[in-house]
Amino acid sequence: MTTSAAAKQTIEFNDKVVRQFMWASIIWGLVGMLVGVLIAAQLNFHELNLTSWLSFGRLRPLHTNAVIFAFVGNMMFAGIYYSTQRLCKVRMGSDLLSNIHFWGWQMIIVSAAITLPLGFTRGQEYAELIWPIDIAVALIWVVFAVNFFWTLAKRNEPSLYVALWFYIATIITVAMLYIVNHLSIPTSWTHSYTIFSGVQNALVQWWYGHNAVAFFLTTPILGIMYYFLPKAVERPVYSYRLSIVHFWSLVFIYIWAGPHHLLNTSLPKWLQMLGMFFSLMLWAPSWGGMLNGLLTLRGAWDKLRTDPVVKFFVAAVTFYGMCTFEGPLLSIRAVNALSHYSDWTIGHVHSGALGWNGMMAAGLFYWLTPRLYGTKLYSVPMANFHFWISVFGILLYVAAMWVSGIMQGLMLNSTNAAGTALTYPNFLETLTAIRPMMGFRVIGGALYLVGMGLMLVNLWLTARSGKAVNETREVTVIQRNSVDTMGLKTTFLADPVTYFFGGLFLLMGWIFLPKGADITALICSLIFGGIAVKKFAGSHASWSQWYDRLLENWLPFTLLTFVAVALGGLIQIVPTVMVNRAKNMEDRIQQVYTPLELTGRDIYVSEGCYNCHSQMIRTMLPDVLRYGDYSRMGESIYDHPFQWGSKRTGPDLAREGGKYPHSWHFNHMKDPRSTSIGSNMPSYPHLFTQKFDQKTLPKKIATMVTLGVPYPAMTDVEIKEDAIKQGIEIVNRLKEDNLSASPDTKIVAIIAYLQKLGKYDTPEVEDKLKTTPGIPTLIPGPGNPDKNRPGGTE
Amino acid sequence: MSQNSPDTEPVLRPHEYDGIQEYDQKLPNWWLFSWYIMMVAFVVCWVVYYQVGIGMSDEKEIATAMAKIADYQKKELEQISDDKLWAMSKDAKIVAAGSATYQTTCVACHAPDMTAMLAGAKLPGLPLSDQEWKHGNNPTQLLTIIRKGAPDVTKGMPPWEPQLGLQRVVEVLAYVLSKHSQGEPFTLAVDSPLKKAGVQ
Repeated sequence: MTTSAAAKQTIEFNDKVVRQFMWASIIWGLVGMLVGVLIAAQLNFHELNLTSWLSFGRLRPLHTNAVIFAFVGNMMFAGIYYSTQRLCKVRMGSDLLSNIHFWGWQMIIVSAAITLPLGFTRGQEYAELIWPIDIAVALIWVVFAVNFFWTLAKRNEPSLYVALWFYIATIITVAMLYIVNHLSIPTSWTHSYTIFSGVQNALVQWWYGHNAVAFFLTTPILGIMYYFLPKAVERPVYSYRLSIVHFWSLVFIYIWAGPHHLLNTSLPKWLQMLGMFFSLMLWAPSWGGMLNGLLTLRGAWDKLRTDPVVKFFVAAVTFYGMCTFEGPLLSIRAVNALSHYSDWTIGHVHSGALGWNGMMAAGLFYWLTPRLYGTKLYSVPMANFHFWISVFGILLYVAAMWVSGIMQGLMLNSTNAAGTALTYPNFLETLTAIRPMMGFRVIGGALYLVGMGLMLVNLWLTARSGKAVNETREVTVIQRNSVDTMGLKTTFLADPVTYFFGGLFLLMGWIFLPKGADITALICSLIFGGIAVKKFAGSHASWSQWYDRLLENWLPFTLLTFVAVALGGLIQIVPTVMVNRAKNMEDRIQQVYTPLELTGRDIYVSEGCYNCHSQMIRTMLPDVLRYGDYSRMGESIYDHPFQWGSKRTGPDLAREGGKYPHSWHFNHMKDPRSTSIGSNMPSYPHLFTQKFDQKTLPKKIATMVTLGVPYPAMTDVEIKEDAIKQGIEIVNRLKEDNLSASPDTKIVAIIAYLQKLGKYDTPEVEDKLKTTPGIPTLIPGPGNPDKNRPGGTE
Repeated sequence: MSQNSPDTEPVLRPHEYDGIQEYDQKLPNWWLFSWYIMMVAFVVCWVVYYQVGIGMSDEKEIATAMAKIADYQKKELEQISDDKLWAMSKDAKIVAAGSATYQTTCVACHAPDMTAMLAGAKLPGLPLSDQEWKHGNNPTQLLTIIRKGAPDVTKGMPPWEPQLGLQRVVEVLAYVLSKHSQGEPFTLAVDSPLKKAGVQ
């Protein structure tokens, strides 16, 4: 903008791709929510599990994936494509890439909608899609990234607006999370084993899972808020410096909070503590976004009465604030002991997905459609009705889940006054208690779905009343050498960056260093922090200048963002991955699954049993009384993937092995009500007729060996023979109870697996195992710093 | 970035992005302080737990609670005898409580009428209504089997004491015994593990 002779250029924005993503979002949103209402109803009426591919365990991943990746994903792309072009004053980098992105993403969704009901899954939440689809997701994401950064590179606006910061963070972080968490070794075209096991897998999965919420459902939507909310209310954004502080703190802190999904489990306690406290420290950065949204409305609150778009935005930001307050609350270990595995968590995510994402989507679409079709919204009253039915639906849903979660949590954790026995020993009693709440949940969800349907009708009629228009605009072309000139040295050797890294380095010393040195590191970091604050007070003009300059340089900005989001994961995951080996386990090591048991496990994963059953007895008295001794780290060390679960619609199964005779499991899988009165579990008749897959079994075992599971050497024939031999043993045992099954059916395999759950060896017995090649040698590191605690000699 | 003192009007930043302007307001103090409090809490709690060593670890907490339960059970069991258990089976209140537990927990395998048969089909459990017993022919032996489960749980009953607690186990036994009477001729089954072990 320095020369007066700047060239002018007329550009046409690519608004077609925005329209495509918008309609895709609405259609997939309706599908995803319809599946949601169906599975909510299945919880009440088990008869609705009509066939194997319409059963809860297979449809629930379809619901979550559809809402996250199809509904919010497409909505995010619509918002990003629309706003990025305008904020950069340039058309998207490439029309071809935009097209590949759109159609590629829709094909991924279609293939997910086909494979998930068929039982093809990786068995990790929101990371269920099988490996060929995973590769497609990664590739399409790269296409999106190239297209986006290309747009930034050729922009005609020197400085990057805050919305773009959030988009940048989204693109690089989702790529990082997705790739790491999906690292697997294929055993066939439709099946693979994750390279992580047990506690490592748990940590990586929830690093991914939690930050899917952060960087797929939060940061892009915040970016959309920063563009569309000021547009809709026609007011300046409340505070630029709040944007800076909350952006950087949000992306840095969010990554650390993953372990709050694993509180009171066998995850090392130092990670649990980090997860909990980073979640608490995340509260303020999250609310920074809410404040910047809501306070932008100052002087324009009257629009709330007249404009449905503003209504939706304000409600969405309010729900965001509520959710990000509830999240840290649920991350407190004591609260989590009550809430975890219960409907409270379900309510929490729905107030985020329906309240924050859904309402933002509605506001965005009501704002966009008239502009994309050069017309007026077909019906404002209809949009207002959509708003009220949505609010009512969400509140009904969330309130029902609060009551349900807290009630069941209290019942499950309740013991008699002396603390010697559970008050409600029968799990089903607690399930029966929450049944009315599960009914309200269906109604709440259905109301929200009706609202979505109305939006489709309203927007469709709006589009028909107008004509698709692509906005054209005359822009001033900026000179390329005026921006994007910052070198690595000026980026990384600036005071704000060096002070931050110095402080963080010392803080890590406090957490990781041995006794004595740790407290010294803490004191040093506090002193260092003091110096940094003083330095900032003295020269904050130069710090601001540096930041303003950074905003004119997309690549250095992106690099710094990447460093900020990569640190938390590195510091938490690397030590755990290195230390979590059989050799380092103190008390118990899981017994290796036999071929038949491994097959049974794959069936368990495929049927989605983990959606309702956990395999993790927490370090809490009620859990121990109900399910047995608490789970140890070593007890899932050969589990690829881990199956700790996140919800107990049914009881925990970590020590299910040997609890009941084979005949009990046989009857239970055939008709759960015959053994467990009042159960809402689906029946699994197809397991009794379908044969288990013998063909791929040798390949599966070979993959397990590659991953370090100590299987004895077996030929392919021996593997199959071993499976059938064990199957015959089970069938013979069933015969004693007058039950008949064929030894090569799935039911036999799943019984074998269930009877193995909770079987372990102690390391003394397994001394030989330790010298097996393939098991790495001891790597010193902070596996369990509890031992360094004063007085912590237990 | 221009600096503004608390008493001046909010400064509007000069740059405009596609028509969007930005104020540069100070960060709200209550917001900043809530954040600082969380940071301080992190440091204080970590120091208290890891450096000072205050607070029990989860493992220790559970071990303490379980020891307390074991202690309580030991005291209770010392007072229990065959005669006492038979006496309890005559106490309507205890039997009613036992019946309630039985109807939710035991019926799936032993049937509501204790025959282990339901609509002509054999259930996984053993009949409790007859006079042939597999795991003991006196009430204290029966109590042990309900508490600890069958010697080989994959073929028989799971242990119920952890989940139900000792008191409920005693009540259920009283309920089962209420269908019998003291002095009935109980025999051990041929395949009884007790017989093999030469206990009787």
